[in-house]
Amino acid sequence: MSKKKFQRAYWISMLFLLLPFIFPLFEVANRPIPLILGLPFSLFWVCLWTFITFFVILIFYFIDPERRKGR
Amino acid sequence: MEQWQYALVMMIGYLIIALGIGILSGRGRDSSSLTEFTVAGRNLNLVVTWFLMGGAIFSAFAFLGAPGWAFSRGAPALYILAYLVFGIVPWYFTGPKIGKIGRKLGLYSLVGFLKGRFESKPLSMLIGIISFFAFIQYLAIQIKGMAIIFDVMTEGRIPFWLGALIAYAIVVIYVATGGLRAAAWSDVFQGFLMIVVSWTVGIMVVNKLHGSTKSMFQNIIDNKPGFLEIGVEGSTMSPMAFTTLIIVSGLGLLMWPHLFSRSYSSGPKAIKQTVLAYPIFTLFLLPLLLVGFAGVSVISVNELGDPDQILPYLVTTVLDLPGVVYGLVGAAALAAAMSSSDVITHSASLEFTDGVIRNIKKDLSDKTVLLIMRTAVVMVGALAYFVAVFGGQGLIALLAGAYGSIVQFAPGVYSALYWKRATAPGVIAGLLTGFVVNIYFQMIQTNTPLDIHAGILGLIANIAVFVAVSYATMPQKVDTVEQYVNIDEMEEA
Repeated sequence: MSKKKFQRAYWISMLFLLLPFIFPLFEVANRPIPLILGLPFSLFWVCLWTFITFFVILIFYFIDPERRKGR
Repeated sequence: MEQWQYALVMMIGYLIIALGIGILSGRGRDSSSLTEFTVAGRNLNLVVTWFLMGGAIFSAFAFLGAPGWAFSRGAPALYILAYLVFGIVPWYFTGPKIGKIGRKLGLYSLVGFLKGRFESKPLSMLIGIISFFAFIQYLAIQIKGMAIIFDVMTEGRIPFWLGALIAYAIVVIYVATGGLRAAAWSDVFQGFLMIVVSWTVGIMVVNKLHGSTKSMFQNIIDNKPGFLEIGVEGSTMSPMAFTTLIIVSGLGLLMWPHLFSRSYSSGPKAIKQTVLAYPIFTLFLLPLLLVGFAGVSVISVNELGDPDQILPYLVTTVLDLPGVVYGLVGAAALAAAMSSSDVITHSASLEFTDGVIRNIKKDLSDKTVLLIMRTAVVMVGALAYFVAVFGGQGLIALLAGAYGSIVQFAPGVYSALYWKRATAPGVIAGLLTGFVVNIYFQMIQTNTPLDIHAGILGLIANIAVFVAVSYATMPQKVDTVEQYVNIDEMEEA
């Protein structure tokens, strides 16, 4: 993947990953029940998407064209 | 020994260790080098970078403000987790790029970065002054935090002015002598302490008061309907306010000069790995939010007075902690306030020197600049201390406007990196417009249209004016622009 394409893919993915945290999409999670792992659903939702964001960045980190050049 | 004696001994012990680490970390380094003082030789490793950026999360705000939000406002406290995750994301590309430009042009501050691209004296002075005032405000909060902790943990035996003086003087000493590296290594030590203690205390508070998080939240759901939701009857915030608060805080995160400047002090690999690890780092805040939720059924906001005192209140009055753990909590809370104030004091002195002093008087030798910076650390320290201890609330309220103004730097910073057509008059006009609009909606007309955050309204006005004025003025010299926007291509060619 070229550097330009990589950058664009990263920015677009991050923009989409922001959406679950804010309205209107956050409306889906804007409720305290069911309690999952002892947390209100909204809090669980935020933690879940934080993990997903982490894994997406992890994937980007490994396919980063700069990384192969050892930078 | 009584509880407060344990606390006092351990907090003093902690302060001695922090001072020791701060002073020792600079040993064997060239103490007369400007690069060493400002950006620690531009080669801080991953662990240090991680904790330096993490120190921004684990500030006095994390120990006092975050539980306070959960306790008094409920679900809107989730904004804290959301904005931290997204605030860091752009750094994956902007960080290494800014670092490259900085290495090439010998930069170490946000002011210097914008001066190099826009070559405008008024702009650098403007940025220098705005960030200086925003920093003093930020520091005053941290210093107040330190004083509150001393006061509460020793059951009122250490007066406010003395607690603040002892803790903050130590910060000023190690920053003035050791510069960034001293702040960095203290942050690593402080970071570990904070994480361990916040989880221990979070779990203990919830268990003691409610048995489990499940029964704790069930209790809130039954007794305070709407408290754990946004934009319904009984909740404390509207969906628009919540959303724009996340966006404005997220965009603003990297505009804080002390975080922006980490682009210079760490290599590209350490920066990328920090971005990677950061979302997980934010989850360390979770137990502190739980402490706030645990307080909901124990005491009302009105009885407590200041919601930010919920964590110390629960630890001192509700929990029956062994003396050593009690003392550790005090030390960790102090660590939280100190690990943010050290980098901020450091950064404030750099931005002020670069933005104001170096514009008034040119041709200063590195040695003189270094001396000015060290003096500035002490001056900034003294000023922030006086604002925190004696400063009337009026002053703090005035400066609260400056706090929201940091995000107004964003159009200038991002266009410096990515938009060739941006011009200095455009950035200045946009910045001033955004600044004024933000202050207007924060101080005068506090009912904003559609409940949008004042900072976002300022930002919209800022961008509109910035783009219009940029197109109406002469483009910049190609060479200057290329050095910034196309730095990657230039290096590869």
